[in-house]
Amino acid sequence: MAANSSFAESNAALKLTTKDDHSSTFQKISEEKEEEDHEVTSPTNPTFRTVDADDSSTARGRLFSGGGFGEGGAPIRFGRSPFGRATAEEEAEEEDDFEEHPDGIRPTGGADHGMPSNYALGRRTSVSAESLNPTSAGSDGWVPPHHPKTDEQLARLKTAVSNNFLFSHLDDDQFTTVLDALVEKPIPAKGIKVISQGDAGDYFYVVENGQFDVYINPAGSVQPGPDGMGNKVGSTGPGGSFGELALMYNAPRAATIVSVDPKSTLWALDRITFRRILMDSAFQRRRMYEAFLEEVPLLSSLKPYERAKIADALDTIKFPAGSTIIAEGDPGDAFYLLESGEAEAFKGGDSEPVKSYRRGDYFGELALLDEKPRAASIVTKTDVKVARLGRDGFKRLLGPVENIMRRTEYEVRPGSSA
Amino acid sequence: MATGTVDRSPPTEVQGPSSTAPRSPVEVRSDPIPKQEEPAVTSPRLTPMHQRRLSPFVITDRPEEKQLGLSSRSLSLQDFRLLKTLGTGTFARVWLVNLKNPQERRNQVYALKILRKADVIKLKQVEHVRNERKTLAAVSGYPFITALIATFADDQSLNMLLEYCPGGEIFSYLRRARRFNENTSRFYAAEICLTIEYLHDVEGVVYRDLKPENILLDAEGHIKLVDFGFAKQIGDRETYTLCGTPEYLAPEVIHNSGHGLAVDWWALGILIYEFLVGQPPFWDQNPMRIYEQIVEGHIRYPQGMGGAAQNIISLLCKTNPTERLGYISGGSSRVKAHPFFEGINWDDLFHRRTKGPILPRVDHPADTGNFEEYPDPDVRNQAVYSEDLKKKYEALFGDF
Repeated sequence: MAANSSFAESNAALKLTTKDDHSSTFQKISEEKEEEDHEVTSPTNPTFRTVDADDSSTARGRLFSGGGFGEGGAPIRFGRSPFGRATAEEEAEEEDDFEEHPDGIRPTGGADHGMPSNYALGRRTSVSAESLNPTSAGSDGWVPPHHPKTDEQLARLKTAVSNNFLFSHLDDDQFTTVLDALVEKPIPAKGIKVISQGDAGDYFYVVENGQFDVYINPAGSVQPGPDGMGNKVGSTGPGGSFGELALMYNAPRAATIVSVDPKSTLWALDRITFRRILMDSAFQRRRMYEAFLEEVPLLSSLKPYERAKIADALDTIKFPAGSTIIAEGDPGDAFYLLESGEAEAFKGGDSEPVKSYRRGDYFGELALLDEKPRAASIVTKTDVKVARLGRDGFKRLLGPVENIMRRTEYEVRPGSSA
Repeated sequence: MATGTVDRSPPTEVQGPSSTAPRSPVEVRSDPIPKQEEPAVTSPRLTPMHQRRLSPFVITDRPEEKQLGLSSRSLSLQDFRLLKTLGTGTFARVWLVNLKNPQERRNQVYALKILRKADVIKLKQVEHVRNERKTLAAVSGYPFITALIATFADDQSLNMLLEYCPGGEIFSYLRRARRFNENTSRFYAAEICLTIEYLHDVEGVVYRDLKPENILLDAEGHIKLVDFGFAKQIGDRETYTLCGTPEYLAPEVIHNSGHGLAVDWWALGILIYEFLVGQPPFWDQNPMRIYEQIVEGHIRYPQGMGGAAQNIISLLCKTNPTERLGYISGGSSRVKAHPFFEGINWDDLFHRRTKGPILPRVDHPADTGNFEEYPDPDVRNQAVYSEDLKKKYEALFGDF
């Protein structure tokens, strides 16, 4: 056991360390830090290196922040690139040669030859956020908080979070709701610790005005005494943000953030509000699509879970007024549900619409069956949001449409389809 | 529908019969996903009860059916000798134990998972712990899952008595070997695949924490899935609570857009990658950068990784769950029919007729030599399950 130093080390670290979101806190502050990070090889890293990570990268000893509960992971070091060329010696040690052994194999102890000393991928801790349950979503009357902001403030906030992948993925409605939910937090004095390293993290912050310094204590948390916050590693000002890991789950803070100016302002967003906004909108969207799909005769033989799968696969697309969603004569490849707005069907160049569509209506469903040309054009009358499902997507999820159709005879309602 | 997943394998490589699932002769297309029209695989889709009877690991001293996972009012911690720590979690510790009463099989050892009630509450894991008890009781008896023998509650703790699996974690073997060769990886991936299939199709359970740390080896080198802390019976519905292990989180979990059974197939892709490469495809010191890479979904494959392996990883790790192998039409049978699993006889595998690639050294039934050493618990700073907490929460722990 003792012979394998890397395991011994990882175990020793298990109970002692805290995990955190180190560089997330100041990733927008210090370009240098970003560069440094690349020294640690990760197979998806753009500046991926094929040489062994040098000692400095391991000596920095950034603790792996796997878990959410303060049970630290061991330092994780990918000492050696999986893509690099192994030396002949290493090659000989490649892979598992658990040869036949009369007594069986031990994963621990003994043979540590061939394992580079800096190779110590520690055991990873699970993470978990608070239970979120959508069944209570509608019933408990929860509505996202709304804190009014000026247009300038909104514009600044938008810019501040636009590069954050947690926000860039949101649709317009979600994004607006999330921005509305940010609450102003005045910082009335200099030297106030907005967040303290090692503390539980519940809020994400965007700086509205004022400067803030970032400190990190190598011990992993703020210690007693005058230098308890550790070293200043950077600072951030208007448009900067910190603490985004708190939007995922409760992980100990990676750094201490202290106000520099006598008066400054932050915007704050807590995890539960953020995740609840995302959950509620996703939940409502799914249920709405399922309800819409239930009204489509062609899909009436689908089982509820199949409808749920289809609802899951629908793509939301927006069209401004006056757009042609499908054009008469084009090969049909997708089916559409009208989510909001109004649209009309036109045939053969007539200026009079042959049919009009409103929320919950659908068109183009015959395209799920085959590629026949579209029988009509569908033109938006107002701004429109549609949910689209391609024939390929349908087939991928549920198999050939014909098999579904065979369950019940489908009759085309006259005039129902474009 | 945009997905950044790179599919590097030529489509021609992915067509292929599997040993037990002959390809339908009518379907010849260049679709990069192997076709399988009929779920003709001789898969273990038996009724759960049937499986329990078949299982070689149904606890032998209680031959009557389904004596697993019952709540016991008579057991208490006092009945057990705590021999050694086998693992620690954030609010739980797993011990190797035996019964103090010599009347009862002296040599029989068990794994006892002790969850401290106060910590469970503090860490907001009440719901997860309830799910764990419920799902593990439901799936106990399946050959590749550690059987829950009984649960019982004490004043301060919730206790789960489990079968002891002496081979230790696959994690330890993997880190020691640095990486597994394709045969070894295939074998474990195949047993995991059967287990996911069973959890999903028979029980409607999503597991949500697949990783080498949660896969143990038994004395014969077969896998046992442990730690059902995040498992949940969801059937075909979606669920929202973020949980898992950072490197293994699926994109839809990170986005909080609702996730379902498909997350386990994603994690299987990550797992196969980690087996073959020695580290997961998405990694950074900063977890936010891991998540950013995951939602982007671009995987780099080392030179020398087999085409079938790359292909199955790329199909399992589709960022859009509605495009993900395992979730799409054909379900698990299509995963099993993938060329990566060529040569696997699924029926033999299920019945454990195939020998595992690593045979752990187990000198006696209570041998703990394959587990890491853990420091003793720090009893000084333990949170107390107070009367106040008890009033509020005790009813929620009633299942134990």
